[in-house]
Amino acid sequence: MQASRARLFKEYKEVQREKTADPDIQLVCDDSNIFKWTALIKGPSETPFEGGIFQLAFSVPEHYPLQPPQVRFLTKIFHPNVHFKTGEICLDILKTAWSPAWTLQSVCRAIIALMAHPEPDSPLNCDSGNLLRSGDVKGYQSMARMYTRLAAMPKKG
Amino acid sequence: MEDYGSSDDDYRYSDQDDSDCELYENNDQNFELLSSTAQVITEESLLAAQKEDLRRVMDMLSVRQHHARTLLIYHRWDVDHLFEVYVEKGKAYMFAQAGVSVDEYHGSNSLVSASVMCEICMDDIPSDEATRVDCGHCFCNSCWTQHFIVKINEGQSKRIRCMAHKCNSICDEAIVSSLLAREHPDMAEKYERFLLESYIEDNKRVKWCPSTPHCGNAIRVEGDKLCEVECSCGDQFCFNCLSEAHSPCSCLMWELWEKKCRDESETVNWITVHTKPCPKCHKPVEKNGGCNLVSCICGQAFCWLCGGATGRDHTWSSIAGHSCGRFKEQEKTAERAKRDLYRYMHYHNRYKAHTDSFKLESKLKDTIRGRISKSEETKSSELSDYSWVHNGLSRLFRSRRVLSYSYAFAFYMFGDELFKEEMSKAEREIKQNLFEDQQQQFESNVEKLSKMLEEPFDTFEYDKVMEIRMQIIDLSTLIDGLCKKMYECIENDLLGSINLGTIHSIAPYKSKGIERASELQVCWSNKANNTGVTAEFDRSEESGCSSRKRARKDGEMFDLNLPADALDRI
Repeated sequence: MQASRARLFKEYKEVQREKTADPDIQLVCDDSNIFKWTALIKGPSETPFEGGIFQLAFSVPEHYPLQPPQVRFLTKIFHPNVHFKTGEICLDILKTAWSPAWTLQSVCRAIIALMAHPEPDSPLNCDSGNLLRSGDVKGYQSMARMYTRLAAMPKKG
Repeated sequence: MEDYGSSDDDYRYSDQDDSDCELYENNDQNFELLSSTAQVITEESLLAAQKEDLRRVMDMLSVRQHHARTLLIYHRWDVDHLFEVYVEKGKAYMFAQAGVSVDEYHGSNSLVSASVMCEICMDDIPSDEATRVDCGHCFCNSCWTQHFIVKINEGQSKRIRCMAHKCNSICDEAIVSSLLAREHPDMAEKYERFLLESYIEDNKRVKWCPSTPHCGNAIRVEGDKLCEVECSCGDQFCFNCLSEAHSPCSCLMWELWEKKCRDESETVNWITVHTKPCPKCHKPVEKNGGCNLVSCICGQAFCWLCGGATGRDHTWSSIAGHSCGRFKEQEKTAERAKRDLYRYMHYHNRYKAHTDSFKLESKLKDTIRGRISKSEETKSSELSDYSWVHNGLSRLFRSRRVLSYSYAFAFYMFGDELFKEEMSKAEREIKQNLFEDQQQQFESNVEKLSKMLEEPFDTFEYDKVMEIRMQIIDLSTLIDGLCKKMYECIENDLLGSINLGTIHSIAPYKSKGIERASELQVCWSNKANNTGVTAEFDRSEESGCSSRKRARKDGEMFDLNLPADALDRI
């Protein structure tokens, strides 16, 4: 318990120090609980998520960093590897390929990379995966763009 | 440290000898080549048991022991498979696949100089509180320890990877143990036990003895895994399916048979066919004659045809307030079920009869022991050797078991359940006759032997005793031959002709009874004999012949030869 707290505190300081280092990621720790974090990430450019701001919720386990944090999208997103209802993310480094050398910041980076490079062969969102697998990239992109507009962009007017 | 002074040859010879000098000294002509040999691995000898495999890998690849173990765990202790991969894919591939890093880290000795930054806790750590593993990654000791504990609790003891991202390297077991031992000795112990037991858990040649309560032993089998063994705790079992030794039944047949006997499914079948539940009290009611108006003992009258409650009045043509039909359909199913039931009963009764005889004859053991001691008092000078009684008795027990299982075998072999599609009706009939002839011959001689052994030989004159002795010896030999023939018939003529792969392969017949697994400790005693330097010397000097001799001496130490011992085991 103590080790995870210490490590999270270090990460917190690191985040404060490099606030401007990565403009795509904004990591915020819960005021009262260092095991709860949220992040705002920018949708990568040249993807249907461009222009959107997506919110992630982190739940850090007691044995962190030996065990991976649980991450999910709070913002609705149309992506093959994200559960459409719960926001759960299917990403190997959050499951079996986790290494304690990862940080919350680097997990965010991995998620941004996942948004740009979906894995349609292990879909959590089957509709989205099927569009890509059947080669309908246009269809996928327009669906994803629509949900980005609906959920991840500030309402106009 | 590694002076397990016996070479592979020694192991092999001593195994054979242990099983060779078994029960039947008289049956020399029945010497058979053993297709498999089994050894008992106890808690104490577990390390020694894997030493041999580790040694082979260490010598072949010139790697250290923990690397050899990592490789072997990855390849499920199949040394031959490991070498195959080595030859086909090369060393580098094999090491990477199993997570072995042998390229010792030759980076700058920054460790010695100052403090290092642990990437896990992000603290600066004095270099003596950090540990670098084979793959070159370095983290602080407390992070390592926590990592090990998490992984062990996750059941990953056998494959604890380095903490670095995408590093597939397995951590050095010495580092894991020593770091854990500092503050968590219980975890270190757990880890080491898991590693050691991997030899049993992940190895298809080794299985835990299925005895309950568990004796703590495991059995290792060389060669054919389809065999029957006896653990040193006395438990006899089929190595393949771990249930009781059941040849000539195949494992599948035995599983089905046991289930059938357990469920009493035929009884249930009979009840459903021959009775109907009373519509009022729901007890099963059997119709014992008369017309279809049945009345239950509870007083309720109902129609036997449809089971519905009726009034009590009836005429030749109708039952009061009721009429229904559909008679023939049920008659047919009833007949088939009845036939199946009788068939099952036939085989089960005989199966049961032989199992019961076996139990009764087990009492004979004590009686005979009494007779021998009485006999020894009165005519000690003339007759000192009673091994013929013991051997006859062992042969009887063994044969009884085979006989009872042979009926379960026949039930499936000639029934519709397994091989209906495999044989034509005529074919089946021929085979059944062939088998039943052999079984009958075998059976009648077993009964003769049983009768002979019941004779109160202690009250007889010397000549009469010698006569009985000869008869028992002859009968034993005859029965052994017949039993063997029956097995051969089953293997070649019955199962062999049905092309089903190996599902119905059976454990081969052993004249000498179920093979008793030898103690692996034999090699410990070898080790004790050859201490230090001489061990190496002995190994290189001895030819196969002389090591055989020495092994036999060891065998005698364990007294596998003594008839009394043989008697106790049954």
